[in-house]
Amino acid sequence: MDSLGVLLVAPMNAYLEQELDRRCRLFRLWEAPPEPDRRAEFLRANASSIRAVVPYAAHGVDAAMLDALPRLEIVASYSVGIDRVDLAACRARGVRVTNTPDVLTDDVADLAVGLAIAVLRKIPQADRYVRAGLWKSKGDFTLTTRFSGKRVGILGLGRIGLAVAKRAEAFGCPISYHSRSEKPFPKYTFYTNVVDLAANCDVLIVACSLNKETHHIVNRKVIDALGPKGVLINIGRGAHVDEPELVSALLEKRLGGAGLDVFENEPFAPEQLFDLDNVVLVPHVGSDTEETCRAMADLVLQNLEAHALNQPLLTPFSGKRVGIIGLGRIGLAVAKRVEAFDCPINYYQRTKQEYPNYTYYPSVIELATNSDVLVVACPLNEHTRHIVNREVMEALGPKGALINIGRGPHVDEAEIVAALVDGRLGGAGLDVFEDEPNVPEALLSLDNVVLVPHVGSGTHETRKAMADLVLGNLEAHVSGKPLLTQVV
Amino acid sequence: MRFQWRGGAAAMSLSTMVATSSAAPASGKPPAILLLRPVDPPFAVALRERFRVLDFLSSGEPLPAFLAAAAAVPDPPRAAVVMGGGAVRVDGVLFDAVPSLRCVVSTAAGIDHIDLPECARRGVVVANSGKVYSADVADHAVGMLIDVMRRVSAADRYVRRGLWPLQGDYPLGSKLSGKRVGIIGLGNIGSLIAKRLEAFGCVISYNSRKPKDSVPYSYFADVRALAADSDVLVVSCALNKETRRIVDGEVLDALGPGGVLINIGRGANVDEAELVRALREGRIAGAGLDVFDGEPKKPAALVAMDDKVVMTPHVAVWTTESRSDLRDHTVANLEAFFSGEPLLTPVTMLP
Repeated sequence: MDSLGVLLVAPMNAYLEQELDRRCRLFRLWEAPPEPDRRAEFLRANASSIRAVVPYAAHGVDAAMLDALPRLEIVASYSVGIDRVDLAACRARGVRVTNTPDVLTDDVADLAVGLAIAVLRKIPQADRYVRAGLWKSKGDFTLTTRFSGKRVGILGLGRIGLAVAKRAEAFGCPISYHSRSEKPFPKYTFYTNVVDLAANCDVLIVACSLNKETHHIVNRKVIDALGPKGVLINIGRGAHVDEPELVSALLEKRLGGAGLDVFENEPFAPEQLFDLDNVVLVPHVGSDTEETCRAMADLVLQNLEAHALNQPLLTPFSGKRVGIIGLGRIGLAVAKRVEAFDCPINYYQRTKQEYPNYTYYPSVIELATNSDVLVVACPLNEHTRHIVNREVMEALGPKGALINIGRGPHVDEAEIVAALVDGRLGGAGLDVFEDEPNVPEALLSLDNVVLVPHVGSGTHETRKAMADLVLGNLEAHVSGKPLLTQVV
Repeated sequence: MRFQWRGGAAAMSLSTMVATSSAAPASGKPPAILLLRPVDPPFAVALRERFRVLDFLSSGEPLPAFLAAAAAVPDPPRAAVVMGGGAVRVDGVLFDAVPSLRCVVSTAAGIDHIDLPECARRGVVVANSGKVYSADVADHAVGMLIDVMRRVSAADRYVRRGLWPLQGDYPLGSKLSGKRVGIIGLGNIGSLIAKRLEAFGCVISYNSRKPKDSVPYSYFADVRALAADSDVLVVSCALNKETRRIVDGEVLDALGPGGVLINIGRGANVDEAELVRALREGRIAGAGLDVFDGEPKKPAALVAMDDKVVMTPHVAVWTTESRSDLRDHTVANLEAFFSGEPLLTPVTMLP
């Protein structure tokens, strides 16, 4: 990829910088003076060459930078959190985004537990006590409190949250959590809101991603619920926590303690905390081990190389890819909803239309190959009968899911039963069947299938609206006025 | 049947009667115990509620005089509460001074202050603290290990000194998950350390006097071989003749330049001078130590190594929960003895 022009935003990793220099055309953003106009000049001067940017947690990619780099094709972030990358702007310009999930999960989870023990058992304070010679002059150190068995509450049960849970479990800690939806872990107690979670745990660990909804998710109410014996551990992002509230809670002893790896205004940590002995402060080192930094760098390089060679990206950042068969009113409404989950939208229909954010595929099989979830939303006619056949199901694959809210005959039912039972298809959500009200028995015992009895429009509001439309059409016909919803 | 007050003290309260009814010897008074260690007020109250406490430290007398007086009281003490590593050794001298002693309850897990063969010879039963401390010590060991690998204490100092804005990113640490951990001593504490570190994806091996049945970890009969096969070495064994300086220069060399040592046993388990040399010369990478030669004196040579060593002042058991668990446990052992029942956590002669 030696013709790939890559902009590195900061000297975040020597090995990464060295490899980018060796294998690509490297542009170092920090070589331009820091004043905004000098930076803009640097970008302008090199805009025709820069096709990739490598940002990280401290420095992202905003719409202004995207505007300055019209040839940009990919943002390969050296981080798992991409709250500082303007995803909407990237999507609008067709710029792909990758991050570094999984490789740092263990390190961040290790640190989360390490911080919890450090705060409760006052390890850094004890270390200072020994170094200052106070053991001899003042005698025994203060009693602390046991970590084992403390109730651990986890905000966000993704990869990192689960890894934290697994570790804390080994200390006999009961686990509870809050996340957008309940997860299939019956041993862990789910709370529908953060305040209840905080009220029912001793150690609250922030492990969710940062977005509009989770900004300041740990606010005064949550801190008060955690209480004077509670401990907050933040290994997410500084902006997850209302920092001034946190500081005053700690100073006023309304909160028992805190272990913080991240801050709202890094590299500045709140100085009022520096003299407290119930906090542990570390400078955003969650993934800072030799091993993980190397693995993160390799992932960035591999993603860039895949992009340069037109191969599938290793770790594209996105929600699941949703493929919609039929982008009519219903299909468009589905697209609008799943977009809000950061899902890239693909579609197939007989005639391509201009949707700049949606990717068109000329066949259902190609659509299925490039999607994780396939949604049937087209009308039923002689062209669309069994449009989802064996080949399409196999293209969707063992990790793919089919959602049918169209008509039973859209899908070859015998084939889908076999595919699900064999594991050739990952799962299905079916509202319609070929022979309603009969549902293939073989599906009833599967746990990767959700079956509902043709309830797509089954709400009071919609059925009333439908009835009104029927009556309206009949009345229009009788009074010789134009029909309201004429099809034929 | 006429109910007869025994012991004659008509003013004896009902609660005292109830508390001592199962333990009352012929004289009707609560049994006497020797208290040979300092205790906090809740512990003192718990003992006094149940026993006649002959308290060495309150007596203000030298030990021999105190023991002689204790041996001479009517219904002399049959049990003693001792601490680990304290001024009082449990040996023939003690038993000669107080021949009535039949039971020693130690508030420590270790028994290096107790002459077990002598106890066996005289038929004196011994109890230790059992598993009371185990979780806290294991937690501390894991916390220290994460601290050393990920430089938590050093990084905390860095932030508090205001160096983050001035000097930028902190130097990288070392990943814990997946590392090979060798545990010297797979008793209560060692087993809990193993269980915890397994959840971090660590691979566990161990050394102990004999291999343990049904334990999924690799056994090494030789500590040097264990160290050679480990990235982390954890000392969690008792201190005795065999384990004095069990971690010596050769073991440290076998552990190697990336290796980390954690000691939550006794200072004397490790050759401290060799450890200092090995750290200074980079023959091992770091150490987390809760125990030291010459404690509580500041281990100056270790303190000089700013970011390679994490030190805590023998606090592995130092939680409020351990304190109250220990109190309950000690009382329970004493009550078991005085009721003629087996001790909860007897220590027998090492095979």
